[in-house]
Amino acid sequence: MNRLNWRKFFSSPKWVTVVWVLGLIVVWEIGATIVAGVKRTPENVLPHLYQIIGSVFSTQKVNGTQTATQIVLSNAWVTLERAGIGFVLGAAVGFLLALLMSRFTAVEKMVFPYLMMIQMIPILGMAPIVLAITKDIDKSRIVIAAILTFYPVATNTLSGFKAVEREKRELMYSLAASRWDIYRKLLIPYCIPYLFTGLKIAAPMAITASILVDTLQGGGGLGCMMSQSLKHAMTIYVFWQIVFLSAIIGILSYQLMVWLEKLLSPYPKELRGNQGKKELTA
Amino acid sequence: MKTAKILWERISSFVYPVAFGALMLILWETGILHQILGADTFTLPMPGRIATIIEENFPAIMTNVWATLIVALGGLTLGSLLGYLLGMAAAIFTKWGKGGLTLASAFNAIPIIAIAPILNNLTKDVSPDANIRSMVAKILVVTITSTVSMSVNAYRGLTELKPFSLDLMRSYAATERQIFVKLRLPNSVPFIFTALRVSVPGCVISALVSEYFAEYIVGVGRQIRENIVLAQYATAWAYITVACAMGIALYISLLVFERILLKGRK
Repeated sequence: MNRLNWRKFFSSPKWVTVVWVLGLIVVWEIGATIVAGVKRTPENVLPHLYQIIGSVFSTQKVNGTQTATQIVLSNAWVTLERAGIGFVLGAAVGFLLALLMSRFTAVEKMVFPYLMMIQMIPILGMAPIVLAITKDIDKSRIVIAAILTFYPVATNTLSGFKAVEREKRELMYSLAASRWDIYRKLLIPYCIPYLFTGLKIAAPMAITASILVDTLQGGGGLGCMMSQSLKHAMTIYVFWQIVFLSAIIGILSYQLMVWLEKLLSPYPKELRGNQGKKELTA
Repeated sequence: MKTAKILWERISSFVYPVAFGALMLILWETGILHQILGADTFTLPMPGRIATIIEENFPAIMTNVWATLIVALGGLTLGSLLGYLLGMAAAIFTKWGKGGLTLASAFNAIPIIAIAPILNNLTKDVSPDANIRSMVAKILVVTITSTVSMSVNAYRGLTELKPFSLDLMRSYAATERQIFVKLRLPNSVPFIFTALRVSVPGCVISALVSEYFAEYIVGVGRQIRENIVLAQYATAWAYITVACAMGIALYISLLVFERILLKGRK
């Protein structure tokens, strides 16, 4: 590798990210060292990263049958499955509603103000009451994740339907395309990038929701294990593992949507028109 | 004929949502909604009953509203200021700043639930008073959650200038400082509001969720949870209604504020 390539490597965005990550690790470790010197139980406040990583690979059983990692992973599955079902349901309902709203102006006028209102309502605050109504933690995980997915998908998809240029619609009419054909060949392909803008916002939210609902009741799930670990029912490292795992899952869920979008709508950006509503992507 | 049509357009965009809302309220009050959802009046009380509870417990509710509002707005202010400063730093040191912001938006995907307990532990020594130290922890949670969207948008506002405006400034022999004050700062104002539109509803949500994990029992979010634990669902619903009203009121005041401040701009 010659000198020029090195320079290229050092100015590449990847290297910048690596340096930032390293910097964060250094800050964390300095913090952990200070905390270790001051506190009696530093692992409750800020453990060293190697301690957390060590706990991932430790084979010590923490609750009789499972190691810390086994507990975390088996519960992660429960949480993720529900979040996933809710996410798919919410996305489907959101898409259908957007379709209805684009087809019938009356529906749009009826529902759209409420869609905007849902955005301002703290749905997560309603998690306990949904649990009380459904009386089943699995159902309430699904319902909350679905509601949170539903509105960014609906609003973004609708703005996708609306962003179709008038000329394109008129061209379809002049070709005597049926309504079905217009939707299949023009409108739906056009709104897919907008749909994904909504999905990208919703995916981490669905997971947050699912974890939050876990904390409300026993019965497994990441959130449940997290609160037990915080109450010292098991080693505190379960908590730290869950913190990192939920962060990683959140980021991965976003990346999964980016990847799916590339798979389903692989056109270069400039051909797609502008990307969704800016204030919603942020 | 044409004016009638336009008139109907206007009226219908008002009549339809109101009719829809009224229909839902009627379905709710008459118990049909309960049958659809399979709920009973105990877990899903009638709107009339919720209203009565809000009226009867008004002083207590207001205390909790204040606690939540301080957390939400305090965190929002701190987070937005911090976010704007970060965005400014990123706009000055573009190369490193951009990478940092990409990383920061990745952090946006971290659930609030993971942050809240950490901060609770970190702030144990801030004050001997449980009320103050959990207040600090809650405000910090909201700060973190509202920083990212502001920093990303501030960066965009400071760098996505109108074509040629930078060249024009250079041709006036403007210093970097002048460019910053006269071009970049004004350019970023609409972007600040874009960020706030995301973080204002967000700050209420984070405040409510951070209350769930806080040590000291106060705030609208905590009351929702405590009342459900006590099986007082009607009271919990009263607090949910208040929480929704708070979210909506904050958002509307943001829109009004934006209207006033961005008057004459597009």
